[in-house]
Amino acid sequence: MRFGPLLVTFVTGALLVAFFFVPHHAAQEAQSVMLDWANVVYAFALVLGSVSLWTAHQKKVTTRAPGWIYSVVTLASLAFVTIWGCVQGVEEGTAVNAFYNTVNAPLASTMFALLAFFIASAAFRAFRARNAEATLLLVTAIVMMIGRVSIGEYLWPGFPKVTEWLLDVPNLAAKRAVAIGVGLGAISTALKIILGIDRSYLGRS
Amino acid sequence: MTPALDTRLFDPSRINLLVGLGIFLIFLIINISRARRGAGMFIRPLAGLKAVEEAIGRATEMGRPVLYVPGLGDMSEVGTLASITILSRVARRTAEMGCDLEVPGYDPVAATIMEGAVRQAYIEAGRGDAFRPGSVHYVSAQQFAYVAAVTGYMLRARPATNIFMGSFYAESLFLAETGNLTGAIQIAGTDQVTQLPFFVCACDYTLLGEELYAASAYLGKEPIQLATIAAQDWAKALAAATVVVASILMALGHPEVGKLLHTQ
Amino acid sequence: MNGPRQSIWTRLLRLDRRIIFVLIALATAIPLLRPVNLPIAVSPRVRAAYDTVDKLPRGSYVLMSLDYEPDIMAELQPMAKAVLRHCFRKGLKPVVLTLYPAAPGLIEEALRVSATAEGKKRNVDYVFLGYKSGSQSVILGLGESIRTMFPTDFWGTPLNQIPMMKGHNSFADFPLVINLSGSSIADYYVRIAATRYRRPMILGSTAVMTADYYPYLSAGQILGLIGGMKGAAEYERLMDLFGDARRGMDAQSLVHVVIVVLVILGNLALFSSGGLRRS
Repeated sequence: MRFGPLLVTFVTGALLVAFFFVPHHAAQEAQSVMLDWANVVYAFALVLGSVSLWTAHQKKVTTRAPGWIYSVVTLASLAFVTIWGCVQGVEEGTAVNAFYNTVNAPLASTMFALLAFFIASAAFRAFRARNAEATLLLVTAIVMMIGRVSIGEYLWPGFPKVTEWLLDVPNLAAKRAVAIGVGLGAISTALKIILGIDRSYLGRS
Repeated sequence: MTPALDTRLFDPSRINLLVGLGIFLIFLIINISRARRGAGMFIRPLAGLKAVEEAIGRATEMGRPVLYVPGLGDMSEVGTLASITILSRVARRTAEMGCDLEVPGYDPVAATIMEGAVRQAYIEAGRGDAFRPGSVHYVSAQQFAYVAAVTGYMLRARPATNIFMGSFYAESLFLAETGNLTGAIQIAGTDQVTQLPFFVCACDYTLLGEELYAASAYLGKEPIQLATIAAQDWAKALAAATVVVASILMALGHPEVGKLLHTQ
Repeated sequence: MNGPRQSIWTRLLRLDRRIIFVLIALATAIPLLRPVNLPIAVSPRVRAAYDTVDKLPRGSYVLMSLDYEPDIMAELQPMAKAVLRHCFRKGLKPVVLTLYPAAPGLIEEALRVSATAEGKKRNVDYVFLGYKSGSQSVILGLGESIRTMFPTDFWGTPLNQIPMMKGHNSFADFPLVINLSGSSIADYYVRIAATRYRRPMILGSTAVMTADYYPYLSAGQILGLIGGMKGAAEYERLMDLFGDARRGMDAQSLVHVVIVVLVILGNLALFSSGGLRRS
């Protein structure tokens, strides 16, 4: 049994739960320090992740797997950003910052914008009146889609009130119910991890 | 009083939360004792989890891989921890069935842990030699870079089964729609309530909220794990009853019970 | 039913999604190129947020945490500009920071545009602290000492050399905290700034996340909630501005109409082709 990791998990988890109830400034400072440790661990893990990424793509290049050219681009980007970031830094005005703002940021925005198209195709496929629940979903979706935009108010001034009611009453009630379940489930899962009942994170099922 | 000067050892405004946690622990202890004594623990069938077995079988017959997407959370999120537990079970089944498994990781820490969990699952299934290094790998900690990589894999490799389990955000519909495009059978589960509608619309089976956390107990059927689900259900019943009683009393002009539930 | 009519409905059921994509592209582009300026009704939540800012006395300080990146800037950048311009018009002093590494460029642009429009000066009428990593630990730190978290502003000027920051070093010194974000950072601010430090708070979020924060509003933990591009458009309307949000709402309206029409057609096709009986 891996007693060491289990003990670290138990002590850390129990302490963080306790700090929630202990407002003493020493406890809060300790919590802040522990959160900083988590950031440090994450930084080291980024190295592990980068090695994993490098290995996976290097193999594709050396074996000339389909799409290996894209792996070359990935490896080149990884190397450039890492080396140049270490040499010049990542603040405003540096090459890495410019690369991020001119390449990464627009690409992320573009990907996010594609969601509009996917929502349309998903709605067309999924909102079909196949049974009572699906019909209710369909009608509610139509009312919400029209009522939440300017054209809904233009067609009928009462639309915003209907959508506000749908959001404030049935939607909020259902969300709260699911949130209570999720909250209790999260406590249960966290306790399982802290108490060592669930050890899958150690690599044991 | 600012916290920097605070020397209290206990915040009295949080006593209700401490009592609630204590009650939950008592429920947990009672149910674990029941499980150890051999009491039967019923867990209602979850269609999504019943389908996991069939979906892996489908992938094996078609000779195509199973794609397991563990979500975009890091190790501090409970959804990711639940996903790792489910991944262990899924990996064991794919090992037993001789099916290929691909797990792209979002968080480097989680990806490292998942690789260990999958490797261990293959060893426990007696197929340690079949574990493919590189099947579990870190992709990117940028949301849409990760999504681009995963959807690219979906379109190239055409996995027969996509399993989305964990914490998902704006990219949920992206992943599910692309998977739908490739004709894969899709099973999703997330604790992010705002993403549930997208998965419900685009996937064949969806685990709603806490069902994600119950999944590992459901798949493993271990008594202690089932006991924690029973404890959770008892706590939920108590919470629901308290809310109903407090609401009725507040409506009748007695807000005392409702005030007990307030947090500071 | 005759052959050709039946095949039309069946073809509609199997409509190529690329046709849907083209329709959506047109529905988005046309209103952006030719704005219609459809009416916008203001919701009580946004009105409450606006009134909270509006009621602050002249010279009051506002701590603004703008936590978003380029992928969600379409919803939150117009919101940030509208709120900043409101603060400037009321003579308030926003102190702005971010917990997202890719946000400083966006925030600097929002501040520059808003300040120029209202004739305000950096470090006299507003301060931009820049980015700090750490999320929850930073927010906890803001409750104790801003200078510990941000020794200098975004441009490297020590906070001790900025007269506007004199006497303002923690949450306690700010009568209002505003957080605009598309992530769980809003939950941290509610837990720490609004609950622990009892700071009046306003939240702004993406449309998808907004419903998550209704419980905070109904519990009184936050005083106003601005949701998505619609919320930003409502705020612009209250400010009598025609910005990116109001422009975007025209496009969003048409896109929603296109989706609703497609859904209705899809259901008509389902009924007409007998798909309901088979399913």
